[in-house]
Amino acid sequence: MIWSKNETLTRGEMESLQLERLKETVNRMYEKNEPYRKKMSEAGIRPEDIRSLEDLKRLPFTTKDDLRDNYPYGYFSTPKNEIVRIHASSGTTGKPTVVGYTRKDLETWTELVTRIAVMGGATKDDIAQICFGYGMFTGALGLHYGLENLGAIVAPASSGNTEKQIMYLKDFESTLLVATPSYALHIAEVARAMGIDPAKDLKVKTGLFGGEGITESMREEMYRLWGRDMKVTQNYGMSELMGPGISGECLELQGMHINEDNFIPEIINPETGEVLPAGEEGELVISCINKEGLPLIRYRTKDITRLVNEPCKCGRTTVRMESIKGRSDDMLVIRGVNVFPSQIEEVLLKVSGIGPHYEIIVDRVNHLDNIEIKVELCDDNKLDLYSQLTALEEEIKHKLRVVLGLSANVKLVAPHSLRRFEGKAKRVVDLRK
Amino acid sequence: MLKQLSIFVENEIGSLRTVTSVLKKHNINIRAIATFDSPEFGILRIIVDKPELARDILEENGFVLKITNVIAVNLEDRPGELDKVLAVIENAGLNLNYIYSFVIREDNSPLLVMHIDDLEIAKQILSEHGVKIGTLED
Repeated sequence: MIWSKNETLTRGEMESLQLERLKETVNRMYEKNEPYRKKMSEAGIRPEDIRSLEDLKRLPFTTKDDLRDNYPYGYFSTPKNEIVRIHASSGTTGKPTVVGYTRKDLETWTELVTRIAVMGGATKDDIAQICFGYGMFTGALGLHYGLENLGAIVAPASSGNTEKQIMYLKDFESTLLVATPSYALHIAEVARAMGIDPAKDLKVKTGLFGGEGITESMREEMYRLWGRDMKVTQNYGMSELMGPGISGECLELQGMHINEDNFIPEIINPETGEVLPAGEEGELVISCINKEGLPLIRYRTKDITRLVNEPCKCGRTTVRMESIKGRSDDMLVIRGVNVFPSQIEEVLLKVSGIGPHYEIIVDRVNHLDNIEIKVELCDDNKLDLYSQLTALEEEIKHKLRVVLGLSANVKLVAPHSLRRFEGKAKRVVDLRK
Repeated sequence: MLKQLSIFVENEIGSLRTVTSVLKKHNINIRAIATFDSPEFGILRIIVDKPELARDILEENGFVLKITNVIAVNLEDRPGELDKVLAVIENAGLNLNYIYSFVIREDNSPLLVMHIDDLEIAKQILSEHGVKIGTLED
């Protein structure tokens, strides 16, 4: 099933809709968004210069820093009294980025998530258990309203307490699971340890996964644990652009269909900012063309991918993006939480007794991301008693938990034992496949 | 009073030897040794014949270490001896953090190394109770 006719427009129809909406959005930004108007003036471009989609690349980029510099509401493009909801990204480096939705934005968002859910095999007969954390993150409420709009029964189970999740899955006979892929695998492992075989004893047949990418080996593992007939799809989004609903996989599993009538994708060279020819790999840049509260133009996602234009067997004509290959910055996604090494560094610098060098090792243990941070001990006063060393470890762990919002293992190592770098330090070892 | 070296070592193959090989090179003799470990790291405690020299050399070689005063007591080699000493410490209300014994004693009587919070008081009380305080020159 295809939810919206806008998913099957001809290229010509799509492009004329995109151009019309782009023009409106640029006008809106120029009139109502002072920081972006300033950027446009600096670039020497005015709204009337946008005559074709080709002109998009003349517009200045928007970055996360633009949102931070105008925290919390300075980047909104509507009067504040028209905003009816705000969300925020994990404000791990200092302040979070705050995003605002008008009533129309919420309706659009709901509609777009419904499309993604239908693409992944959801129907109105589903009982959907949402195991994303409810709160300032967009993931849970995005899927919640999208699935409700479809007509499914929505169980807002939120995240954590895996045994209770399994009880809900069993007792409510949930047929659809919303979670990060790694958490879904973890739930399956815990269920098995409890003597419940998810493939036989549970009714889940559809998994809509997001918050982090899914690799092909994870997908295979998903089939093994949840059953071969499970529909395993991933979808993509970020709060700055809207939340979930930007793109999602259809059951052909040949990339994620971008809701192009709402978001224009471009691929750029992250170093030069130059737009790359169709089919090349680079940083994904998205322009929101159907939003009121926060219609970011040419937002740099920092995610590396490739766009696929060939027609899809599912019947949708929208362009697809491949699984995210990596980041153009050093951001890590740990259990669905965005982590920058610079945040870890900031915490470590404030702890006395340890040196300035560190190494971050990310691995996946029992399907859950595990992060270990090695730091060099340099304070001999801690050597009197073993308990002083463990207290130091606990102190670092605690401070990291406060800042990152997740627990990390801390390992004290001998001084000078960590690698030194002459140029740019390579402090992260990511062992996840 | 004896000087003990506490050295931070990682719990990895060969990590103790990184210490002993440095000591060997400088002809420093180890008289007592103990380790306290977790799965990740440990504290190696040693008593050597030239503690200041050992500290300087190990620090030059990049180790984190600390010199701590400890007390050593001579025990008779017979049942109940350790219990007697521990009773003295307990009755005095002193906190004993750890104990370990000497590697080799030429006169064959055991020598026990103890780290106690208040060393001077401990030494005095142990002496009052007839416990012989040991030295390296024994």
